[in-house]
Amino acid sequence: MNSLVAPRPLATGRIRLVDYRRRSLLMARFRVLIIALAFLFLALTAVSRIAWLGVIQPAAAQTTMADALLPPRGEITDRNGVPLARAFPAYALWFNPHAMDDGGPPLVSSPEEVARELHAIFPDLDVVDTAEKLRAGRGAYLRRRVLPEDANRVMEIGELALEMPREADRHYPQGSLAAHVLGYVQDGQGHIGMEQVLQDRLVDPAFRGEPAALSIDIRVQGALEDELKRGMLSVNAIGAAGIVLDVDTGEVLAMASFPEFDPNNVTTEDLIRTQEMVDRGIMPPAFNRVTNQVYELGSIFKPLTVAAAIDAGSITNLARRYQANRPLRIGKQTINDSHVIGDTLNAPQSLIHSSNIVTGQIADELGSDVLKKYMTDLGMGEAPYIELPGRGAPLSFGGEWSRLKGMTVGFGHGISVTPLHLASAYAAMVNGGMWRPATMRRIEPGNAPRGRRVFKASTSARMNQLLRMIAVYGTGRNANAPGFRVGGKTGSAEKPKNGSYSRTTLVSTFAAAFPMDRPRYVVIAMLDEPQGTVASSYQRTAAWNAAPVVGRLIPRIGPQLGVLPDEGRDIDLTELQYLVGSGVH
Amino acid sequence: MSAARPYIPQPGRRSAPTAAFPQDRRRQLLVWWREIDRVLLGLILLLMSLGTIAVMAASPASANRLSTSDVTLSDLHFFWLHIRWQFLGLCVLIATSLVPHELARRGAILLGAAMLVALVLVPLIGVERNGATRWLNLGLQFQPSEFLKPAFAVILAWILSWKVRDPGLPVIGVSGGLLGFIVIMLMAQPNFGEAILFVGCWFVVVMLAGLPIKRILTLCGVGLGGLVLAYVFYDNARNRIDAFLGGGTAYDQVDLASRTLLGGGWTGTGLNLGNNKMRLPEAHTDYIFSVIGEEFGLLACGVIVVLYLAIILRVLVRLVDEDRLFIILAASGLIALFGGQAFINILMNLQLFPSKGMTLPLVSYGGSSTIAQCFSIGLLLAITRRNPFLSREAFDFGGGAAKARKAGAQKGKRR
Repeated sequence: MNSLVAPRPLATGRIRLVDYRRRSLLMARFRVLIIALAFLFLALTAVSRIAWLGVIQPAAAQTTMADALLPPRGEITDRNGVPLARAFPAYALWFNPHAMDDGGPPLVSSPEEVARELHAIFPDLDVVDTAEKLRAGRGAYLRRRVLPEDANRVMEIGELALEMPREADRHYPQGSLAAHVLGYVQDGQGHIGMEQVLQDRLVDPAFRGEPAALSIDIRVQGALEDELKRGMLSVNAIGAAGIVLDVDTGEVLAMASFPEFDPNNVTTEDLIRTQEMVDRGIMPPAFNRVTNQVYELGSIFKPLTVAAAIDAGSITNLARRYQANRPLRIGKQTINDSHVIGDTLNAPQSLIHSSNIVTGQIADELGSDVLKKYMTDLGMGEAPYIELPGRGAPLSFGGEWSRLKGMTVGFGHGISVTPLHLASAYAAMVNGGMWRPATMRRIEPGNAPRGRRVFKASTSARMNQLLRMIAVYGTGRNANAPGFRVGGKTGSAEKPKNGSYSRTTLVSTFAAAFPMDRPRYVVIAMLDEPQGTVASSYQRTAAWNAAPVVGRLIPRIGPQLGVLPDEGRDIDLTELQYLVGSGVH
Repeated sequence: MSAARPYIPQPGRRSAPTAAFPQDRRRQLLVWWREIDRVLLGLILLLMSLGTIAVMAASPASANRLSTSDVTLSDLHFFWLHIRWQFLGLCVLIATSLVPHELARRGAILLGAAMLVALVLVPLIGVERNGATRWLNLGLQFQPSEFLKPAFAVILAWILSWKVRDPGLPVIGVSGGLLGFIVIMLMAQPNFGEAILFVGCWFVVVMLAGLPIKRILTLCGVGLGGLVLAYVFYDNARNRIDAFLGGGTAYDQVDLASRTLLGGGWTGTGLNLGNNKMRLPEAHTDYIFSVIGEEFGLLACGVIVVLYLAIILRVLVRLVDEDRLFIILAASGLIALFGGQAFINILMNLQLFPSKGMTLPLVSYGGSSTIAQCFSIGLLLAITRRNPFLSREAFDFGGGAAKARKAGAQKGKRR
């Protein structure tokens, strides 16, 4: 470096030039490093941008060939793999006024002509309306869910402004069957049914290649809807609900609610509750009466009360007789029967003839708090256990129950629950005493939840006899399908209207289990406000409208579910037969 | 230090006779192999082979787009063409790097002059494509600006290194005049991207040649002002910048590129399994980086970035202990053109830079441009050839002068 501190006298022009050369070389070398740093910075920017894009804006746009082969939304099938909802690649008909891109009119022919040609392809298309849309010169959907062959015919019209964008749509091959279970899809989002519950799974590329199996059996569902609708129409009921439940696993094999809707074509009338509906106290068709509507279900609770009394040891002798011809008076309230059945009745007779007075006494002896504990164990105190999003919470269950409340709950008044609550409780009563949550998912054999014990097995066995007796001797005779060993109970509850009960607007329910010698399934059929018609012998009570529905349904679904009719088998009723005699009246 | 005094040319005294250059071809090749930067050559070959795979991935998309009702291009149309061009390019690369240093400099200067003439001819007899007149058809179609780029870097270094003979020469002014002429010719084509590249290259070389810091900052300001002016008065630039800032509409080029880039996640869809690329215009040229992103994943994109950085740093770090100013200037000018184009393209694909008609050097498909890129890399190899047996003065980071001054001051104190 001494060239830089060279002695002054030597500094001639040439040496200064060398010095200058060295300095500029040094500077160039140093600045090369600056350039290198600049490029390092650029590369760092690029790499961190890549990392940012990969981490912050991840998989959303990720598409692989495998994804492209998957359906845009997973299939839903019934328990046997029958498709209930499948991806449906359809076209939309979109009017794009800017397609021609030449400043002229958007259409080659006149809007009216185009509308007429479209009408020829889609006969239900309104010509005037469509021409109006075409004339307005704004982009608009003229139609959704266009089939490929119709799309081809639209293309043949030769209008550039008629565009056919592809849409991932949903198709329900069974139409309105199990509509409330499935729900519907709008703009990629599932609503109300399992479409909403399974939303994440159905769109997840990891799972959507594999169909989601529900617990529903489409054959049972079809039979239930058929019989229920027939029963509903024959008695002019405003609505109906039905469910078939596997007592050992809690799987829902069929669930129906009427009026129904078509998930292929959901309209606003299906979803919106108008003021008129509010006034008449009815719900729109998309409302699921099985899981969401709470009713005071009436006499159908009586077997539960008797089961609780037997289980708690408050009934020690089924032969003991209770007075049955005088109304019970508790304070200002009176508990009455529709007609006097006899002077005295024992517990089996009270079930067979559905006596409020006797059940009230049984519930009174059991005690309100004990009955409430049993009802809580049966899941009546909270919204029903099921995956579906619309679940109705029970009404007036909480708080301390008074003596009167215990007695009225004993015969099914004073609390409101959904039909699904009832089905789960009946399942616990007949299956040996284990309560299990209901589920819409298929459960592989052996994977059923353990459940919680509500009744002793002996109580459950006794109740199976009593339920069978009701169907053989009592109000449930219309449901007694030959060979299927049906047991069940009717319930005809007056609906509360304007603060009191109305004798003409009823909720008629039949809760059944079969076969009673080894109960496998619980069936509930409920009709909302049935009228007396010729089909029900001008009766409104459950024995004449709901019970026959079950009586016709069980022979249809029994063989499908592996229960074959057998006249030679039945639950042994001989030890109780003497208690009810051959005919009480 | 005093023992190895620098050579001071003096009249009447001849420099020591240079060693005779080996004459027979085998020994020439051997010398070439010893002198060339083999690491750089290896990195370049690696990049070119990755480029071949990338063009194979992008070829079906562009072949589909460019097929007409009369002519259906086969899926690998561009791939086979690319292989052919790459082979030619490789020959040019090796041949150029074999040229001795002096000859390379003179040849590049002559080529530059010829290309300047061609550039003037472009507006007169050029061929118009996609609304821009950049091509010249002299039996063989080529873009004069592509070949002007490497020659420009060498000419620039040559002009600026006059200074070491006479510090009084206005070298920066002269080079600036040349640059201004080229930029005006490019803007007329219009070719905004190339113009920016030329300005960037000039800026880098002038900075290395000792432009004072104050003037550098002034130039940065002028550059920014120039961009604003370009935005206001130059349609081509305004459109591109507007599209960049405005985010554009769905399904424009930028949006499609972004979908393609992210379409494969971190690990990619696999070769020929991407489907976003099929809608992407210019998949095999400007947006090949996005196609790499879809089919080989963002990780592969990262690898490409690192590879470019490795090439640039290899050249620059090796220049730090170079002791001829011309070599430093020419090589850094060449690598600035190469790296600048690469990173402009990459950042454009990553939506950090407005969209430019600019290819990814040595990766994108290109005819004459591949040849031009190979030529500039060959030139770089030829210029940076160095005798491995000569020792060079190591670079002193602290600045030797400052240290010496300090030592002197201490000495003075003690005295």
